[in-house]
Order: sequence, then structure tokens, then C-alpha cells
Amino acid sequence: MELLTLFFIVLIAAGLGLLIQWLPMRHQPMPTYPQRAPFLGGGLPETHAWNRYHTRYYPMTILLIAFEMEMMFMYPWAVVFVEQGMKAVMEMGMFLAILSVGIVYGWREGVFKWQ
Amino acid sequence: MIFNELILPVLLVTVVLVVGAYLVAVIDEVIAGALGRPSGAGAWMAPLAQGAWLLNQQANATEAPDWRAWRLAPALYLALAAIGLAVVPFSPTLIATDLVTSVVLWGSVEALATVVIFLHGWSANTLLALIGAYRYVALGLSYILISMFVLIGVALPAESLQFSQVVASQEELWNVIRQPLGLPLFLIVGLGMTFWGPLNLADSRDLAGGTASAVSGPPRLVWNLARAAMLVAFSGAAASAFLGGWLGPWLPGPVWMLLKMLAVLAVLLLIGRLMPRVQPERCVTLMWVVFLPLSFVDLIWAGVEALW
Amino acid sequence: MAVSWLQRLAARASVPVFPVRGMHGEEVLYRLALTPGVELVDSPRHASILLVAGGVPPDQYGALRRVHDQLPAPFATLWYRSQPLDELASATRIDDPDVLSGALKAMHHELMCGKRGSSPRLLPDEPPNPWEGLGDDGHGGEGMMGGVPYGRPMAMNMHDDIRDGLTLDSLTVTLGPFLPMLPPGLSVEVTLQGDLIQTWTTRDPPYPIALESVFFQALQGPVPIAELERAMARYHLKHLYFALRLAGLEALALTALRLAFESHSNPKRVATLRRRLVRSGFFGLTTTGQGRLDEETARRVGGVAARAAGLEEDWRSEDEGYRQLGFRPLTQRQGDTGARWRQTLAEVEQSLQLAAQAEQDATHTRHSDGVETPRGTWHRQWPEDQSTLLDDLLPGLEWDEALSTLASLDLVPLSPWSLEEASGAPVAQAIAEERRA
Repeated sequence: MELLTLFFIVLIAAGLGLLIQWLPMRHQPMPTYPQRAPFLGGGLPETHAWNRYHTRYYPMTILLIAFEMEMMFMYPWAVVFVEQGMKAVMEMGMFLAILSVGIVYGWREGVFKWQ
Repeated sequence: MIFNELILPVLLVTVVLVVGAYLVAVIDEVIAGALGRPSGAGAWMAPLAQGAWLLNQQANATEAPDWRAWRLAPALYLALAAIGLAVVPFSPTLIATDLVTSVVLWGSVEALATVVIFLHGWSANTLLALIGAYRYVALGLSYILISMFVLIGVALPAESLQFSQVVASQEELWNVIRQPLGLPLFLIVGLGMTFWGPLNLADSRDLAGGTASAVSGPPRLVWNLARAAMLVAFSGAAASAFLGGWLGPWLPGPVWMLLKMLAVLAVLLLIGRLMPRVQPERCVTLMWVVFLPLSFVDLIWAGVEALW
Repeated sequence: MAVSWLQRLAARASVPVFPVRGMHGEEVLYRLALTPGVELVDSPRHASILLVAGGVPPDQYGALRRVHDQLPAPFATLWYRSQPLDELASATRIDDPDVLSGALKAMHHELMCGKRGSSPRLLPDEPPNPWEGLGDDGHGGEGMMGGVPYGRPMAMNMHDDIRDGLTLDSLTVTLGPFLPMLPPGLSVEVTLQGDLIQTWTTRDPPYPIALESVFFQALQGPVPIAELERAMARYHLKHLYFALRLAGLEALALTALRLAFESHSNPKRVATLRRRLVRSGFFGLTTTGQGRLDEETARRVGGVAARAAGLEEDWRSEDEGYRQLGFRPLTQRQGDTGARWRQTLAEVEQSLQLAAQAEQDATHTRHSDGVETPRGTWHRQWPEDQSTLLDDLLPGLEWDEALSTLASLDLVPLSPWSLEEASGAPVAQAIAEERRA
């Protein structure tokens, strides 16, 4: 039931977002091509903007994956933490320590810089 | 039955989102005026008038946008804000959807927000919006871990991933005191999720409005609305995770909750007006090298404190 | 049709104005920035009025038409000390800065209430390239390559990246002359790979900027140092306003601008501004040591940029009047963006202190064969346009770094007219003729 309610909330919020756009736009004519040209302060592009974009922070994104995997373990761990006591602290402490070394190593290698 | 399970939650979320977004605009206007911006129509009127103007303005198009993604992105961002607010408890019983895994759901809202904001910039197919979109991804991938660690920190003493349990666990002492690093770190996440103030890497002035530089009229209105609504949803999460949610003497629970949300909003909007935009590269380095290790410290602190 | 409540409400909104910054149009925009009820926006998509402030050289009319057509309907144009385009002969022209904000508000009100029609489109409604109906998406080539899908070719890789050598796509665009983040009039061809600038070629130099007439008088004979120094401080504060606004510090930007408009600002308030800037993180978060000028380039640029790089180049040290006041040029060492801003703030404070001192003793300049302008020394020849040095300085910088570097550098040429007599049009013509020659 909770999930059904959530589903309705999503539906109504997204619907509201689309409705506010659609209602006033129904009768508007399509803008002219010069209006649709990208704004570059009077200048023009040679090509479309979509391209094989050079995301310069790509090493960081790979580092992120390592952490994201860890998060999967952390959620159940959080629930049983108090039950397990010090053991849980030690385990996660070790885990975080290893990851921290990874961050420091990555920092030294310049993974947070724009490549 | 239908009323309690369906209509009430939907009404609660919609009203808080819309009124909250309006209040965000008003508070921001007041702060800007107090800091010296010449104010025109008056803070209460200005957001309404601007909204009306946007409804009257023609919606712009670009040469070859990804139409569906471009129009959907603002609506989806608004929907994400609604999900975020839906799991926020206003009292032990007044919760739109009291999922047992609401903290996890909040985390997924943060992750999906990155996708939606990227989509908004990318689908316009113009240079400045595209740069804003990719730049935002760098930020989005950096703040998400901080948020996870900080939120797990509040889940430890509650022994639950449910926001209502998290609030209940603060009966004796609010998390803002128990885990002093938590709220400051979480506020950074809030600025990141809504690309507000110093973390406005997506819609910044150096990109002539970034992902919003090519939109006008109603789609821009929805985008602005969604952004403010997300800030409201965030303030709800922050108030329940760190400020003891509905807990408080004399006043009824929901009133306390709303007051705390307003306090969080005011702080965020003030930070937004007082700090310059952080350079993207510096921002990523700061997030990973300073704030992420701090969030580790916060988690271990929270863990040790919970066992005490 | 009756005016709906929505339109009446919209008419009460603060007027979103997209400024096209023409020649000598800056001053009025500073005034508008301090006017309640008017909002200067960065994208024409966010505006309901196109304000052309100052003259535009005829060879840039094409770019002006393109910007004009990019405003979504309903919108209007207003020409401040500028000749409207031939097609828009009936558009409103205003030369009096005092009535401008009122006219903008009235115009927005009329637009919203339907009393004024939207400005007509100037360019023909045609795609940038003719449609070629081949392939699945009508792109005229094979796969995604070749042809002009939806009017433009797709980006194709040309070069290896200058940072990590990866071979990904590059985008080449012309920016300006009316891009709000660039100096007015500057037009460049930029190639980007990701958000990193690969090449930067200056096409049109920025418009010349007018100095206050006291600098011109200083070349004719002695002038009060107080007046000269206050004019200097005003110039730098306006420059600072632009950069702070770009950095997202609107409140402090307006503080700087208000200081510029005060006739007798106290040096202590500049010190306060500097402290607030440091505390806000302006130096720590927005500058990363980029934009360093070597000694030779710094000397060529002159003024603040030279002194920020450690060169003690200042005509004021040659002047007896200044020596009497105990003037010594301030310098920084690093020569990068942060250093230039520290230098600017220090110089503004120094100027106001000198002005206060000079006022007491009524000190005048002695030499009149040269003068230190905010743009550098004016001795025998005046500071010229230096925007071509950007071609070497900016490649390799990320977009945000490049723009904050650009904002910290003052490279514009000086106008032969003073601020008091510049009315735009004759200069615009002269520039256009000079370019054609």
C-alpha cells in the first residue's frame, strides 16, 4: 500500500510538471530557426553540440564505483550495528581505512584533477 | 481508508512542495534584499509575478533537442522532489509513505537527481547547456558518497533505515549535537542536489544559465519550481535526520517540523548568497579529499557514540 | 481580448532585460544594476526586453540580428544611444539615462498587457543548412557520419587533446561579440574538447572603453590628484563588480558598484570589502593560480596586471606631486588571477587614501607629458588593445578558469573620447571603418 501511495505521488508530481508546461504551450507556434539557434552571444557553432564529450573527471568516476559497491553492504550493516557491537565497528573501520588509503593514493595520482 | 492512505499523503506532499517552493523564493528575495540587492515588487509578490511572466512567455526550442527528455527533465526533477518529501515524517503518524527503507530511498533520489539534471542540460543540444550538464555530473558523483555516509551515521543509533525511527531515536538528544559533523556535511549535499549558491555548477552565470540557458517560458518555470521544491524536500530530510523532526516541547509535532525545515532553508539560502561559485576542479578535490574523509570520521563517531 | 489576471500579474514582475553591450554603453548598465525592478539577465531566453546600450559597428549587425531573434516572444527592443537597425526603424530610442529604467518598466507593462506587439523576427525562418532527406533521420550521410542531420554536421574529431592526448570530438564555435561573460565587443573562435579550451582565436577586439575626462586633462596641464585617484578607484571598482557577479557573489558585486558611485568613499570601506571577499572564499574557491602572465606579457598589458606580476611600472612614481604624497607603487608577485584581484583591491584602497591626502593639501600633478590610467601608463602612446594575448594564455584552461582569468585581465583599448563626451555612434562608425581598412 505504501508503495502504491508513493507511485501516485510520483505520478501526480510528474503530471503536474508536464501539465504546467503543456497547458500554456498548446497554442504556441514553433519558434523560428534563428530563434532556435544556440545562444553564443551572436556567434554560431559549426556543428551540433552533441559529441563524444571529453569528461575530464573519468578516473574519479571509476573510484566512485568502488565506493558505491561498498554502500550495498553498509545499509544492512547499519541496521544490525548496535546488536553486533564493537565487532561491527572494527569491521567497518578496517574497510574505511582501506578505502581511505585508496583516496590518498588516487589524490597523489591526480585522479581528482581535470585530465 | 482511501482518504488516509491515498488522498491525504498526496495532498500533504503537493501542498508542502508548492507552498514550500514559494517560500524558498520569498526567503531568497528577502535575503538578497537584506544583502543589498535593490528590490522591486516586494518579496511576497515577486515570485508570483515572475511565475506569471514565465507562463506568458513563449517556450523556446533549440535546433534539434531530444524533445522527450528535454520536456520530461523538469517534470521528473519535480517528481524526485515529491518522492523525497513523501518519506519525510511530520509526526509519528503524519507521514505520506512510511517505508521501512526510506533512508535508502532518499539516497536513490539523490542519485537520480544527478541523472535528471544531466538530462536537462544534455537534451538541449547546445554548447553552454552541455558543459553545465557534464560539470554537474562531476559534482553529483562527488557529493553522493558524503550523503550516504552521513545518513548511515544517523541510521546507526536508530537501528533502522526508516526516517520515523531515526526521529524517534533522537528523543534524548538530537543528532545535530550527537554527531556534530553530520549536519554541516549534509547541508553541502543539499546545496549540491539543488546546485544552489557555491555549488551552482549546472546553471551558473559563466555559462549564461547553463542547463537552463536555452529554456524559457513554462518549462523554465517548472525547472525553477522543481529546484526550489527539491530544496524543500531536502530541508525535510535534514530536519528529520539531524534536528529531531517533530520532537519539541509545547507546539504540536508538525509545527515543529515546519519550523525546523524553514530554519534549514534559511541557512541554505543564506550560504547561497554569501559564497562564490566553487571552481569545478577545486570542488571535486574538496569533496573527495576533505569532506569525504570527514564523513568517515562522522560515521565512526556516530558508531562509537551509538555503542556508548 | 481582455487582459487576464495572469497578464496583469506578469506586468508587475521585475523587468528581465538582456543587455547588448555596445560601445560606451557600460555606464548605463551599472546604473540599471542598482535600479530596483530591473533585472539584467545573462541569456536572451530569460529576457523580455533587448536593451542595445551603446553603438554597434555595422559589421556586427549580423550578430545583433541573431541575438535579437533569440528572444522568445513577447519581447521588445530599446535602443540606448544607439541607432536602431533599419528593419526596426520604429523601435524606441532613448538617449537620456534618467528616463531609461522608467521606459523599460513601461515597455514590459505594455508587452504583458498586450498594448504593444512583440518585436518582429528579422532573419528568415530557415534551418542553418538545407534539409537532406537521406538516411533514417534525414541526415544525408551514412550512419551518424556525414551530411547535415537536422541542419548541422555532427562534431568530428580534429585534434588530439592538449592535456591527455585522447582523441575525442572537438567543438568549434564563434563566441560573441555580445556574450555577457566576455568583454563587450570581443568576438572569438574557440575550439573546445570537453570543457577545456583547445584553441582561442580573437576575431574582433573588444570595444574601446572611455575614461573620465580628468585623464585627458592631465595630459594638458596639472589636475588635482584627488580627482584623478577617485576616477581610478571608480574604474577598478566597476571592473571588480563584473568579476564578482560572474563569480556568483552578487551582493558583494553590488557593494563594489555602490562604492564606485559614491563621490567620497572611505578607504576603510574598501578594506571591509576586501575582508568580506577573503572570508567568502573568493580567493580560495574561485582562483587556482591560473592565468599567470610572464614578465614580458605583463609589461605589454601594463597597469594592474603588470604590477600584480611584480613590475613596478607606474607613471605616478615619476610625478613630483605624487612623490610629495609619499606614493610608492604596490606590487604582488604571483601575476595570476588571484594576484590581480588582490592588487586591484589594494590599489583602490591606495587611490582613495591618496585622494583623501591630496584633498587636504590640494596637490596637483606636475608632469603633463604622461598619466597613469587604470589601463596602464599613457605616455607618448596610450594603452592599446591586448586581447590577442588571450590566444596563447587561455588554451589549456577549463571553461570556468578561462572566464575568471579573462575577467581579471583588463585588455581593452582606450577610447579617444572621454566618458563625458562619448555618445557612441561616431566611435562605432570609426571602428567599423578602421576594421575595413
